[in-house]
Formats: sequence, C-alpha cells, structure tokens
Amino acid sequence: MKKFVLFFIILSIAGFTSCKKFLDQEPFSSLTPSQVFQNSGDLALYVNSFYVDQTPSAATITGTDNTSDYITGNTIPPLMSASTNANNPVADPAGGWSWSVLRNINYFLDNDNSSKIPVAVRNNYNGIAKYFRALFYFRMLKQYGDVPWYNHAVAPGDSSLYKPRDPRTLIADSITADLNFAINNLTETKDPGSSTITKWVALALKSRFCLFEGTFRKYHTELSLTQTASVFLNASLDASTQIISSGNYKLHNTGNPNSDYRALFTTQAPWSDEVLLASVYSSTLKLYSSLNSLFTSPTLGFRSSLTKSFVNCYLNADGTRFTDKSGYDTISFVNEVKNRDARLQQTIRCNGYKRSDGSAAPPDFSYTYTGYDILKFTLDDKTLDYSSLNNNSIPIYRYAEILLNYAEAKAELGQFTSSDWAATIQPIRQRAGIAAPFPVTADPYLTSTYFKDISDPVLLEIRRERGVELFDEGMRFDDVKRWKEGPMMSLPYLGMYVPQTNTYYATNGDGVLNVDFVSTVPAPTVKGVFYYLVPVTAATLTKGSSGNIHWLPNYDVQRAWNDKYYYYPIPAPELVLNPKLKQNPGW
Amino acid sequence: MRINIYKNIAIPCTINFLFKFMRIQLIIVLLFQTVCMAGTLKGQTMNNTRITLNGQNISLKAAFSVIEKETAFSLGYNTKDINTDQKVNISAVNEPVVVILKKLLKGYKGEISQVNERNIFLKVTRSEPHKDFIEHENAAVVNVTGRVIDDTGLPLPGVSILEKGGKNSTVTDNNGNYSISVPDHTILIFRFIGYTTQDQTVLMKEGNAVTMNVTMKTVSNGLKEVVVVGYGTQKKVDLTGAISTISGDVLADKPTPNVARGLEGVVPNLNIVMTDGKPIRSPTFNIRGTTSIGGGGSALVLIDGVPGDPSLLNPNDIDNISVLKDAASSAIYGARGAYGVVLINTKNPKKEKTMVNFSASYTINQKTVDPSVVSNGYQWTQNFVDSYTAWYDYRSQPTTINGVLPYSPSYLDSLKARVTNPSLPQVTVDPATGKYLYYGNTDWYKELYRQSMPASDYALNIASSTKNSSFYISGRYYNQKGIYTYNPDDFSRYNLRMKGTVNITPWLTVADNLDFNSYKYFYPLTNGNAPVTRYLDVTATPMGILRNPDGSLTPSSYNAVGDLASGNDHSNTTQMYIRNTVSLNADLIKNYLNLKADFSYARTNYNVLSQFYPVSYSAGPGLTGQSVNNYLNNSGSITNYWATNVYAEGKKSFGKHSFKLLAGTNIEDNVINTSSYQRDGLIDPSLPDFNLLNGTNYTIAGGGNEWSIAGFFARLNYDYDEKYLLEINGRYDGSSKFPSYSQFGFFPSVSAGWVMSKEKFMSFASNWLDMFKFRASYGSLGNGNINPYQFIPQMAVAQSTTTSINGAYPTYTKNPNVLPTNLTWETSTTIDAGVDFSMFNNRLSGSFDYYSRATTGMFTPSQPLPATFGAAVPNGNYSNLRTNGWDLSLTWNDHISQSVRYSVGVVLSNYTATITKYNNPNGILPYGVNTYYKGEKVGEIWGFTTQGLYTAEDLAGPHPNQTNYIVVSNSNIPLPGDVKFKDINGDNAINIGKGTLADYGDLSVIGNSTPKLPYGVNLGLSVKNFSFSAFIQGVGHLDWWPGTDAGLFWGQYNRPYGSIPTSMLANVWSPTNPNAYFPRYRGYVALSGTRELAVVQTRYLQNAAYTRLKNVNLTYTLPQALAAKLKMSSAKIFFTGQNLLTFTPLHKYAPNYDPEVINGSDPEVNPGVNIGNGYSYPMLKSYSLGVNLTF
Repeated sequence: MKKFVLFFIILSIAGFTSCKKFLDQEPFSSLTPSQVFQNSGDLALYVNSFYVDQTPSAATITGTDNTSDYITGNTIPPLMSASTNANNPVADPAGGWSWSVLRNINYFLDNDNSSKIPVAVRNNYNGIAKYFRALFYFRMLKQYGDVPWYNHAVAPGDSSLYKPRDPRTLIADSITADLNFAINNLTETKDPGSSTITKWVALALKSRFCLFEGTFRKYHTELSLTQTASVFLNASLDASTQIISSGNYKLHNTGNPNSDYRALFTTQAPWSDEVLLASVYSSTLKLYSSLNSLFTSPTLGFRSSLTKSFVNCYLNADGTRFTDKSGYDTISFVNEVKNRDARLQQTIRCNGYKRSDGSAAPPDFSYTYTGYDILKFTLDDKTLDYSSLNNNSIPIYRYAEILLNYAEAKAELGQFTSSDWAATIQPIRQRAGIAAPFPVTADPYLTSTYFKDISDPVLLEIRRERGVELFDEGMRFDDVKRWKEGPMMSLPYLGMYVPQTNTYYATNGDGVLNVDFVSTVPAPTVKGVFYYLVPVTAATLTKGSSGNIHWLPNYDVQRAWNDKYYYYPIPAPELVLNPKLKQNPGW
Repeated sequence: MRINIYKNIAIPCTINFLFKFMRIQLIIVLLFQTVCMAGTLKGQTMNNTRITLNGQNISLKAAFSVIEKETAFSLGYNTKDINTDQKVNISAVNEPVVVILKKLLKGYKGEISQVNERNIFLKVTRSEPHKDFIEHENAAVVNVTGRVIDDTGLPLPGVSILEKGGKNSTVTDNNGNYSISVPDHTILIFRFIGYTTQDQTVLMKEGNAVTMNVTMKTVSNGLKEVVVVGYGTQKKVDLTGAISTISGDVLADKPTPNVARGLEGVVPNLNIVMTDGKPIRSPTFNIRGTTSIGGGGSALVLIDGVPGDPSLLNPNDIDNISVLKDAASSAIYGARGAYGVVLINTKNPKKEKTMVNFSASYTINQKTVDPSVVSNGYQWTQNFVDSYTAWYDYRSQPTTINGVLPYSPSYLDSLKARVTNPSLPQVTVDPATGKYLYYGNTDWYKELYRQSMPASDYALNIASSTKNSSFYISGRYYNQKGIYTYNPDDFSRYNLRMKGTVNITPWLTVADNLDFNSYKYFYPLTNGNAPVTRYLDVTATPMGILRNPDGSLTPSSYNAVGDLASGNDHSNTTQMYIRNTVSLNADLIKNYLNLKADFSYARTNYNVLSQFYPVSYSAGPGLTGQSVNNYLNNSGSITNYWATNVYAEGKKSFGKHSFKLLAGTNIEDNVINTSSYQRDGLIDPSLPDFNLLNGTNYTIAGGGNEWSIAGFFARLNYDYDEKYLLEINGRYDGSSKFPSYSQFGFFPSVSAGWVMSKEKFMSFASNWLDMFKFRASYGSLGNGNINPYQFIPQMAVAQSTTTSINGAYPTYTKNPNVLPTNLTWETSTTIDAGVDFSMFNNRLSGSFDYYSRATTGMFTPSQPLPATFGAAVPNGNYSNLRTNGWDLSLTWNDHISQSVRYSVGVVLSNYTATITKYNNPNGILPYGVNTYYKGEKVGEIWGFTTQGLYTAEDLAGPHPNQTNYIVVSNSNIPLPGDVKFKDINGDNAINIGKGTLADYGDLSVIGNSTPKLPYGVNLGLSVKNFSFSAFIQGVGHLDWWPGTDAGLFWGQYNRPYGSIPTSMLANVWSPTNPNAYFPRYRGYVALSGTRELAVVQTRYLQNAAYTRLKNVNLTYTLPQALAAKLKMSSAKIFFTGQNLLTFTPLHKYAPNYDPEVINGSDPEVNPGVNIGNGYSYPMLKSYSLGVNLTF
C-alpha cells in the first residue's frame, strides 16, 4: 500500500513537471514577429499589406469626383448635406479618421532591422513603406489640415496619443522626407505591369503632393505660409522633371485622336507607356469592378453627369474656344458636340456612339440627369451593364498628369515659357486632335465662370487642361481646395440646352428620336423615347419652356459654399478622448 | 480499538490540518481494513468468525459498525427494538461474533439468526432480561409472494426485488406481483426508478409462505434522490451548494431538432436564449446572468463528465441533468466551471433487466410569426413615393425603385389603373427602353415560404444488464423539412450511442461509452450572400413578380428568390461527432476507497460545402444579365480533443460523523484545425465537385489553434448526522492560454448546510415540515475563457482578394495585435445563501437562493484610446462586475383521488449586473460607443426622451433647436409630424453634449435590455390513463430597441423601397391622424446616423416581455392488461404542441417579430454581423403526434 501511495506521489510530481511543458502552446497557423523580419521574402510578404490597404478601387477613383463642381448625380455631395456634422461625419472615400494603416507601416519600419538582410534590400522595402506613409499623410492632410504626426507604432500608454495636432509644416516636410527616402532607395526599374511601387511612382506622388502643398500655401493666405509655397512648387517641378527626363514614360499616342485617350481607361492591361501605376483588374483573376453598372444603370450608381459649364471648357477642334462662338449657350446638343476636342466624345456619349454590338447608344436620360452621359470608364459591351464584370484597369498616376503638374508648378512660379508649353500642354492637346497655339489672352469664360482672380492666360489654360484631361480621375475636389476656389462647388447644376419642350430630339445625331422634354407624358408614347419631365421639383429648364436643364434647383441654396468645407469634420468622440485635439473651424 | 480516540476528536480548526489528518487516518484505516478482510468472506458463520473488540462507554451503534466493518457481516435489526445509542462496555479478545453480540445485547431477549453469508438478523425485544438468545445459523427458506403498488394504488411492474447480501432476485410482473424464495429474516430490497427504495424483512410466521405487499412511495421531492455532482454523486439532502436537478422526463415526447430547446425555462436562472428557429442553432447555456463583459463565459456543459454540445444529443438518452450554480458546487471543475456547470448524464440499463423502447412521431411545423406586409403594388408604390420625397424635403421625385425598377409618375398611374381594372397585364414592355415594366401584387412571404413543414423522429433503444455486464444501445433519426417553397432547407440528425460495462472482478469495473452523431443541413443561399428575408425587404417589391412571360427570372426576383427558385446557390453543412470514453472504476476497498479513471477522445468534423452559380435574369426581351458569383467553396474544421481524469474517493463514518474525501487530476487538450478551399468556374451547378471546375482562381487557407489545461482538485465533505454539512473544495488550475508566469491559479471554495428540520426544537413542526435546510457557500473560480495565444504577438498571413500585384493576388502579413501588459485569470467570486424545504408530506417543496457574484480582473480593453493609436485597444485584466440575483423554484404535488394526480411547478429568477470598475477616464457614455463606465447597470439603454410629434404650433413657436443633432430629412427641415424630443438639460437644444457622463446632453437611461424575471410554469394532470402537461415560459420585462435596418419594424421609414408592415398603415401620422404612433412618413429616417428614428428614444422602445405556451403534452397510456397482450410493458400515444400560444406587448407595434427572435440576422450567412434585426430564421410552432412503446 505504501508503495502504491508513493507511486501516486511520484506520478503526480512527474505529471506536474511535464504539465508545465504541456501548457506552453505556440500558435501554429500564424507567424510571430521574430519569424517575420528574417529575410527579404518576409519583407516582401509584409509590404504587400500596404498595397492591399491603400490601392484604391476603380469605383473609389471615379467616385471621388462625385464630390466636385463638374459632376452632379442623384444627390448633392454628402459634405454639403445638412445632416453632416461632427456627430455624423463624412469622410473622403479613401478613408476618414482611421489610423490603422499608419500603424501597420510604422510597425514595419520599427522592426525592419535584421542585420541578416543587406541594408540596400531593407532600404528598398523601407522605401515602399515610406511611400505608403507619405500617401497616408497626404490624404490626412488633404482632409483635416493639421494632424498629429507619428513615425513609430505607438504603445497604448504613450502620451503622444494625447498630443495636439502637429502643424501642417511638420506634416508636409515629413511627407517630403519620406518621399525623398523612397525616391533614393526604390528600384529604378520601371514596372511594365504598372502595379508596383518604383522610384518613378514615388516621384509621381511627390510631383502631385508638392504641387498640392505649394499651391495650397500660395492661395490659402490665412495660413501665413505663402512664403514657403515656392519650396514645394520647386520640389514638384523637380520630381516631374526627373520623370520626364528619364524617358521611361510618354503620352500613349498611336495617332488615333478619337480613341487614344479613352483606351487608357478601357483596357485590361494598363498602357505602361503612359501609366505609372494603376488599379489593376483582371479576367484571369476574376477581379472585376462594377464600373458599367455604376455608370450605365438607371438605378445602381450615383448617375454621375457632367455639368454644362464644364462641358463648355472643351475647346473646338481647331483650338479655338467654344465659348467664344456667338450663341454657344443656346446651341443644341448635337451641334454642341461637333468639332470639339476629341476627348469630349471619349468622355460622354455623343456623335453616334455605338455599343460593341453596333447598336446606337445616345445619351440615356435614365442614366444621366444633364444629358452629358459619361462613357470614359465604361466598356462598350452592353451585357456588362447588368453585371459587375468590368476588367478594365484604371490609372492612378499617368504621364499626362506629370506634364500637367510640371506646367502648373512652372506657371505658379512664374517661370512658364513657350518651350514649356510645347513640352506639356501642346502634346496633350495634340493627342486629342486639336491645334494648340501658345495662349496669349485670358479666356473670359474661365475668368468669369471659374477663376475670377486669375488673369494669367497660361495658368487658365493649364487649369482648363487639367480639368478636361483628368476628368473624373479623383483629383478635382483637391484642385478646388488647393486653388481655394470653393465657390466653384456652388455653380448651378446645368445640363444640355433644350430649345423647346414637347419636341422630340435625336441626341445621337443619327436622326433617331430619343428624348422629349415634357410636363406630362403624352399618350401614345413613341418607342425609344425618354420623356424627361420638366418642370418638376428636381429639374426645371432655365427659361421655363426652354433653356438648359437645371438639375436639383432647390438645392442651390443648400449648396452655398462655406469655407468649413475645405476640411472635413473630425468625429466628435475623438475630441473627448483627446481633449487637446481641436475641431476644424466651422464644424 | 480506536473508537475512543475518535470520540475525542474535535473538528480541526484549519482546513489544512483536517486535510492532512484525514489523509493519514484514511491510509491507516485502509491498511488495517484490507488486512482484516482477507479470507474472512468465504464460508463465514457467526460462530466461526472471531474478532477482538474492546471499548468503554461506546454506543451499540458504534460497536455494531465495528463488527460490520471487520467481519463483512451486515447486521439487520429493527431500530424500534434496539436503542443503538445505548452505551455499553465490551471486552472480547478473539471471540466468535455471536458471543460478542450476546454480550453487547445484554438486557435483551430474542433470536440471533444468520440469514446468509453476509447477513445476521437480530430479532430482539426490549423486555425482561433474558440470558439466552436463540441462534439460527441456517435459517429456513421462505416463499415470499406479494404485490407491489404505487402510492395511488396502481400496480407497479418492473420493480426489482433483491435479497440483501444474497444472490436471489426477481422483478414484479405486469400486475405488480412477484414471488421469491429466500431464507427467513432476509432483508428484501424493493427498487424502482422514481420511487424510494425500501427494505423489508422477511419474517416467517407459520408455514413456509409469507405474503408481503409493498407500497412504493414516489420520490416526488427528491429528498432521497441521489444527485450527480462534480466527479461523483451526493444525496440531495446532503447538498450544500446551489444545485438544480431535472430528470430526463422533461424532454420525453417533445420532438425537437435540438435538446437545448427543450430545456429553456425549466431550471430557474439557467438562461437559454434561442436566437432563432434554425434547426442547427446551438445556444449557449448561461447560468445566473451576466458573467463577464471581458472573457465572457457560459456554463460548462459536461455530457457524462466530458465537455460536449448538448444540442447534438439524442433527447431519449438523457437520464438526468444537474445544474451547478454557485462557485462551491462547480469549484471542482475549476477554471472551466467559473460560470456554472451543467451535467448531463445519459441513461444506463436498469439492474438485471432487458428493455426495448421504440418511439416515433410526426410533426407539423409552422412559423410562429408570419410577416404581414403590404402586397398591393399601387398602395406600396404610393407609400414608396411618399417616404422617398419626404426624405428629400418634397423636392425630388424618385427615378428608380432601389435600382431594381424604374419609377416615373406615369408608372404610378399605370398601377392605379390596375386597381380599377385588375385584368390589365402584370408585365408590359416599355417601348422607350425595351425593358419590362411590372405591375404585380406579390406577397413574397407567401410566395417564398411554406405554410407548414413536416418533421419526423424515430428512436430505438435497447438496454440489457446481467449481474456482471450491461449494455445500452440507442439510435435516433430526426428529419425536419425547411421553410422555403423552392429548394427548401432540409435537416437530418443521426444519433447512435453504445454503452457497456463489464465487472472484471468484484472490485473492478470497466465501462465504455461511445457517442456518434451526425447532422446534415441543406440550406439555400443567395448570390449576394445575405439572408433571403433581407433581400425580400430591399429588393423584391410587390410589383415585382417571380418570372417574366418567357419564363426567365425578373430583375426584381433574381437577387431575392432567383437563387432559391433556380437552386443554383446553396450550402451543405455536415457535422460528424464521435466520442469515446473508457473508464475504470476500482473499489480498492469496498465502501471506503474507490478509484476512478477515465480517458476520452472526441473528434468533430464540421464541413460546409457552398456553391454559387450565376443566376440569369432578363430585364426585357433580349436584355439578360446575370449574377456574378460562380465558385465552389469548402470550409471545415476538425477538432481533436482528449481528456483524462484520475480521481479517488474515500469515505468513512465515525458514529454520526461522516467524512468523504475526493482528490484527483484532470488534463485536457484541444486542437482545432480549419481549412478552406475554393475554386471558381463551376461547370454544372448540379454537380458540385472539385473535379468539375475550370476556373483558374484557387484559394486555400488553413488555420487553427490548440489549448490545454491541467488541474488538481480535491473535495472534502463532512456531515454530522446529516444535520450539519460542510464541503470544502480546492482546485489548482493551469491553462495554456496564459503566459507561463501566470498560468496557474488556486481557487478554493467552502459551503455549509444545516438541516434545521432535524433539530429537536423543530419537533413541533414534524407533522407538516418534512425538511428544511439552510445552505451557504463562498468560493472563487478562475475564468480563462479567452482565445488562445493572446499574449503572443501573432501575424496572420492571408491572401488578398481585392488587389492584384504583378498579375496575382498578393499574400501578405500585417502588424500583430497589440499585447496586453499582463494577462491572467479572471476571477469570479460567488457568495450564495439558500434554503431547501419540503412540507405537507412532501406535497410542497422548493428552494430559494440569493447570490452575489463578483467578477474581477475581467479581460477588457485597458481604456478607450484615441483612434490615432491605430489598432484595437489591447485587452487586459482591467474591469470588475457584480451580479446579484436570486432564483426560486416551487412545486406542489398532490392527488385528488387514487387516479387523479396533479402538480404545479414554478421557477422564477432575476438578476442585475453592475460594472464596479472600468477604465473609462473620460466618462464616455455607452451610446453608440462600445464602452462601459463604473456604476453602469449592464444592459442599460441610453437614449433620448420623445416628447411627441411636432405640431404646426410647436414649430411656429419657440422650441428647442434639434436640427443641429437630429436629422429628419436630407435638408433637415422639420415639419409637423416629425419626432419632437425633450430638452432634458434645458439648454434649449437637443443633442448628446459631449457624450460623456459629465455632459450627456439630453440623453438618459431609458431602459434595460436584460431580461427581467424569466419564469417557467409547469402544470401536470393525470387522470387514469391520460396524462396532460403544459409548460409556460416567459420573461417579465425586456426593453428592446429595434435598431437600424430592422425593416420588418420600421418599414419604409428604414428604406423607402422596403416592405411595409400592414399593421403600420393605420399608425402613421397625417394631418388627419395626428395622434398616430409613427411620425411623418419619411424614408431613410430609421436607417443610420442621428436621424430621427435611428436615435434611441423612449417612444419606439419596445417591451419584449412575453408569455409563451412552450409545450403541451397529452399522453394516453394503454392499460397494462392490453399492453401485456401486445407483449409490451408499456405503450403510450402522445400529442405534443410546442410554442402554440404567445402573448407579448411587442406585438402591439411589432407583430412581425417573434419575441424570442428579436436580435440578429442569420449568423451562418453573415458571420459576426447583424444586418438587421428580424431577418433570422423564423421560430417554429409545432404539432406532433407520436407513440412510445416499451417491450
């Protein structure tokens, strides 16, 4: 018996000691940090998460301009809605007051220090991380102005969580420093698939960011930073120059002005001659967007439509201004779109546009409110309208923007010459099939409608060109903000000119009647005709029974510009959690 | 002898000392006993068995017990005849037992008879001293016959009758008659489940025949009942912890897909919330309310001692269930039992009997609630336009109906025309667009859902036992057809259980318990992978119809029902569970020391095969489109679990002192491996096999985790005369879920009981008070209910499905979770005080407990951090909670006549939980933010107070400005009929201030979502061969905020294109109906943000209290004689109805909701996300007819 007891005692002791081991369990289906930063493959694995976090989708890129002056849709921009406030904040489509993306980047930078990996390799990946950190802070800066700067993953007890915002100057300088690091350490090899971050992509971001910051400081005089604007304009210029002089990129130009422009947005493989980075879609991967459903559906999308005042900015094919023509504002749609900048017919449906099956596709008033029906991003295959199966990749940075950035920075610095014109705006216009003489007079239409304080004819043309070339690529509201041209956002939403109501029109130019503007739908109806009801609360004609379509006239007052819209509101609970954080003015 | 020594022992004052002492004593006693017993059994007689017995002033009882222990003889006598408390002196050295007995019984006369090898019967009378006893070494054999009846006079068949200490036994026949031949003075033991076991002594009178009729008494109040407790059993009278028990009978004849459904409301404060009616739904078992807001935790459910999922059980297998509620009674399970333990024990064969039981039933299921929505297309569209334009301040007209149908005023006119002329076609083609226009009046709930669904249930079990072995085999098949008209869901469950026991030697028993069960569930999916109901609400308008004239699906239907009708999208879930437990039971020293060991292995295979195949639809002749998803996905998990327990129990009594000591160890290990693989390009939707795919996209994912626990436990029970009871538990537990420095914790508990009714001063009440006991307990337990590896930074690796780099989906890893600084057990400390009583001859019995449970060091976020932190706030042992409550159960059991019996049982409980510590330094309110504050009552609802609806006068006159916070429309221009809020803080503005305790604006606590006073009422009535029972269950009060996206409550206030509850129509504000419940008819105002109906407020807070007739059962038992003719021992026919009637204030404004299915949507379709309350699988009511036959 005693042996029996002894046996049990020994067994328990043995059991207990082995128990300690038994109770030490390690995860077997995830890594731990000590296993991750060991070789370059690990670093590649990690930096992929930055792409996943910050590569915008096609719908995000095109949807960003739904908050802009030149697009209207089924409702007014959420930022200007009466229901928007700090308790009901809205945010940039790419993300609001969320900081997890930054933590992920900073954690990488904090831990990428294994001596087993060559410094150059680490710096390349750190360069990617810093590119994405710059991208993150650029977005925060655009949305909120001053924001707290963090270059380490913060511990929960860190007092820096409770610091006030850091000044804009610190943020901007830090973004520049990150980008410079990226530029100096990233690979110089161009990516023919336009899907990875290279030195050229980092330069493109620098070109875009520094132009933003330089012009923002120049025009937002209330910041008292005008003195430093030129530093950023020069930095932008420098970045653009490096891309241009590298010879890696050029405008995608096959000599077909009627299709070269739109090809950039409608092919599966990005045109890597022009596109530095794209949001890539693929039939092979079954990675699709729903662009056709968004733009070609009476129901699913925002029903983005161009406004008349912007369509007026498209030049005539001969390089003259459309708005210089007498009676330009009472021209009917079919005549309006004739002999214009070839980008117009590649941006909206007009001039006998046909789907891939050969069927005529006039502007469809069940997709557009203004008559300017966007086709820039949609594919011609009709069956895609009902399915989310778009495989066309959408550019994030392309060479044309670099040229436009270059031109604008030079012009803002007052250094713009005719040779700059010949190197930037001229080739862009020529791709669109229009003559492009150096401008010598300021366009009275642009100065009266849009840019009242700008008298430099070149700068006006550069701004025109930027709007037309980069239409709906997600940059317009940023332009409005940096130019401090907020009141542009309050222009009435005008549509095509309607010579008179109760008349059938063929807006495709092929004689097939497709729309009638009526106060009541007649009986019997005509096949294929859309009966556009005016006047109703949402739509009127500017002159009663004729004139331009005036979309959402009742909201014109609501849309009055308020300077608080230059920044988004910070969510109210954050101000409680960090009392040193102050709300943006006006919210 | 050591008898005197024991008498002088005081109860040691420290537990430790007692513990040590007991161990030493036990070992000594055991050693002695073993030696003593050797060789004395075989052929012993009272004359040849000699022992030594010396003692001064010892009681007769003590002396007898020494003889019994040292000789293996059992002494039988009538306590009326012998005063066993009488003190005697004895001095006998190696003398025969019979001589010692005579010495002890000085002063008595009578007979000393040796009945058999183990029994001696003392037949004495206390009268004149008598020098000689008559001795019988070989008693005469007597033929005993008789009849056994129950306390109502009905014969009891199947009662087992055993010779005490002997080999003879028999069983009563169908008429309750028996006959047995045994030696005179034998004690016969009469045993029958549910009745008190009786001992009767055979006393030969004249001749060799004796008639002995016995009346068995039911153990209605269970006083003598043996209750299963942790690692053992205990007599119910000896319990000191808060333990509720129920017999498996509550589940009998209730056909249900899931045992858990049958347990709802049966035990006070065992809270089982059925979130919906899905047959696979497995609820968690909560005991006594809020456990922890950190690790959380539900009760540990053990099936035959091994953790398991009760919903997988065959209800026919369940013998009894014990619910261990307080810390003291669950302490033996340590960390996993922190929030109570539910012990479910399966049936064992009855002693030396063979029994075959078959039951079958057929059930018709119906939904408890059939959503009633407007199906008139014209009416619906008018409302749609009203709500849409109202949101847009009457400034813009809709141009589409949620992107599914185009809208124009002329369309409304066409609908109106169809009201007056219903013969107009339902579908036309719009000449302008070539697209179909629809003018239907579809009630999608009728179109898609069946009105009644069948289910069937078959069960067979066979049990047999012989003296040395037994087996039990049971099987069950259950099938339930689903709710949809097209490709309805289909559920089947299979159960098989095999149990066997073999007595290898008289002291060693080996048993095996094998449980195999499996279910299959076919469930239709939608291509967008959201619940069908949700799609009905937002996509399928009444005007939409299922199919176009050419037979293709319509755009309006393809999302919602196209997948159902086509059968293209569905999932097949299979789960297979197998568990085997081998156990050893060694009576090392009979009646004193027992060693048990068991080893269990369980494996669960869970697998879901889902397929998505595009559904084509047509928007107009020649205009076809299709849904996108086309793939096959297989996701599954394999869980391997093993556990072993080794424990020993020793018991010993010394006079009125009884001790019981249990000690043992428990080790468990659980590994789960998950896998998921998917490929696109299904070639044929009817052949979902991975061979038949041609897509180039594959995803393969693994995963899993492992945890292990080890514990050492001990329990000491002491009772004095079954009057004063004490129990001490301790467990030392280690868990792999904590870092090694905080892996182990020691958790002690103590409980005590006092059976006051046994005190002499209570004798005045003895004729009406059967039993009255006080109990109290105190103990603390650890809770380690967190995910494994929380203290290890983990970097998951995943493949993107949204971004492509270099022509492929990148694989990536991310920054790890932020680690807590310290991490250890949560501690839950419970104090419990209770009474058990039974009175009026056991007709009334009940128990009441009050408890207070403090949960400390709860695993919660350290404190809300600014978003700039950029990660989920790490959890640690940061907060405390206190839950106070009580539970009560009362039963009245009586009969009016021999054949009419009835019973009424009530269970009732309540609790409140309060946060006593939480790191929320800014005092942020739990209003739209997931946080708590010190002093918060768990479940409290913060909201605005609704003052009414605006009148024109209100708006014209001065009124608090609410437009800065509350939104009523796109441009936020309030109009008469909009909701008017009360300015609580008097600042003339309606808002939430800073949303903090210091500045809460116009918020206040307006309700609490914790169920108040959950109750159950059990009624039973039996008249002759008929028995009737009813079970009513309910909740006294529960505040429910419908929440955003609850379309079946808010109708078009949620989304203008949503369905409209018919009950809403009369309750909508209009200038002519200014006192309506619902405000001005505006769309989107209940959808999100701070819109007037999206903010929590008093007016639309619902009381989801309910009273539900959960179960009624009517059973007819065939008369014995008739059953016997059919060669059956019992035959029953039953009707059972479940969820037949419901009364709830909720139905005043939310008749489309079942009060038990108010929260959540469909967790299988959208895991972890609630996409709108009310979109769950409906609760079912059922009508069953069945038979239950025993052979």
